[in-house]
Amino acid sequence: MSVDTTDVSRETLVRPIGTLSKQYLLALVAALGAIGVWVFFYLQQLQHGLIVTNLADWGSGGGVPWGLYIGAFIWWVGIAHGGIILSAAVRLLGMDRYQPVARMAELLTIAALTCAGVFILIHVGRPDRLVTSVLPAWPTRVQWSPLMWDVTVITAYFVLTATYLALTIRYDIHRLRDRLPDQLEPVYAVLMVGYSEREDAIVERMVWWIAFAIIIMAPLLLHGGVIPWLFALLPSMAGWAGGVQGPSFLSIALTSAVSGIIIVAASFRRAYGWEELVPVEVFRGLAKWLGFFGLIFLWLQLQQVITGIFAAPTTLQHATEVKIATPVYWVAIGLVLAAMLYVFACSLRPSLFSIPVLVALSFGVLVGTLVEKVLFVVEGLQHAHFQLYDGVPGVYVPSPVELSALLGTVGIVVLFFLVVAKVIPVVELHAIEAAHEGGDDA
Amino acid sequence: MTAAALPTVLAALLPLAASSGGGGHSLPFVGPGTYLIFGIVLAPVYLMVVAWYVGEPSDRSKAWLGVGYLVGLTTVLWGSLFVATMAIDVLYF
Repeated sequence: MSVDTTDVSRETLVRPIGTLSKQYLLALVAALGAIGVWVFFYLQQLQHGLIVTNLADWGSGGGVPWGLYIGAFIWWVGIAHGGIILSAAVRLLGMDRYQPVARMAELLTIAALTCAGVFILIHVGRPDRLVTSVLPAWPTRVQWSPLMWDVTVITAYFVLTATYLALTIRYDIHRLRDRLPDQLEPVYAVLMVGYSEREDAIVERMVWWIAFAIIIMAPLLLHGGVIPWLFALLPSMAGWAGGVQGPSFLSIALTSAVSGIIIVAASFRRAYGWEELVPVEVFRGLAKWLGFFGLIFLWLQLQQVITGIFAAPTTLQHATEVKIATPVYWVAIGLVLAAMLYVFACSLRPSLFSIPVLVALSFGVLVGTLVEKVLFVVEGLQHAHFQLYDGVPGVYVPSPVELSALLGTVGIVVLFFLVVAKVIPVVELHAIEAAHEGGDDA
Repeated sequence: MTAAALPTVLAALLPLAASSGGGGHSLPFVGPGTYLIFGIVLAPVYLMVVAWYVGEPSDRSKAWLGVGYLVGLTTVLWGSLFVATMAIDVLYF
């Protein structure tokens, strides 16, 4: 089903590029402020080491060297997935209803993957360690190490997404060039190298194949593959091991990603008066996906809890009992459940539907999925099969340094959208083209 | 049944069930990642690149543009990290 965007002009499409509002500047200051707070704390970490976090070693904090940093890494990668999957689905499956938010979803993927990378970068301590450890080891360790699999596939995924965006943007820039700022001509010249209208059909086919690769690779082999395998292949951690982690990680990724897309799309819609370009039907559709993925998320949580407490191996039972005795776990479940129930209620009574409510619930889902992922990482470490941590004092609580990184990465995503929205159209020209095919200024 | 009696393909997959490398500290060059990452996970990417060159409509120069993006972006991503690492080394160590 397609949405009706027949009254939308090309001026509307490029509106973010040509306008500068007070709200934009406020958002810019807020994003830079959030990044500044993180940089302040990160400099402390660089100066004094990971001791300023609660992730310093296994001798404190309940024995948790992985905590918020790794939880947030998984969370950002998850958000990244859904974005490009949605865009790929528009191309492959003809889900034209979501065309107006497809490029925002692609951009969200790039921004979120960047943030995931940031968390790995800061978690290895010295930033140069990413290169000095990974690059020399890669040729001989990619065959054996899930960490190297992860690095390989995330790199491939980032590159595929960026290539997808770089190829699709050429069509739009060519047709909207007279509405784009002249100051950015060098940028457009690079993006448009070798362009001719004859390439459109060829590039569209190439992009279809990228979408094909992404839609197989991302859900089944990345967030349902190498990311959960970082944990699921470790039998020494009772709460991590097992094949259920693949689908469970994927369900969380898709749930959080749809929430992210809803928030980004609603923000642009409100900021630029895009009620016609991103009509309410888009959000109704996204809400249904949110409800569906939320249901799968909750179902897989149920699977893990039931198999973890009913005649489970001793250490798994202990890990699961601790999990369900943790109040914040139920907060996370409740936040996803609330969103799901709202969506189902709206299906029964459409008049209940409201974009602001959906956005608020989407924020709740993002909080809930982040909490679940951090708990998964932390409790998995705390309740291992072996007794190593039994004598380790303290409990893990994310430090201000770690929390500032979360704030900083949110700031990076906001800043990314603020900057990109001034350079390229964040909605594909195809979204309005059915009504304007062949016309240049409709 | 010994490993030698297993079908060839199954025997080749045995490392998947013994990812520690069978003890010792030096791992063989071929491991589970060889099949998993280069054989399965990246298979859609191989298919994608082949499809850029064959089938209709296609154009060799545009296919090279796509490959150029794949190679170039990978190089920029890790190359910039490499340069940053060198800068850190020079400035601080």
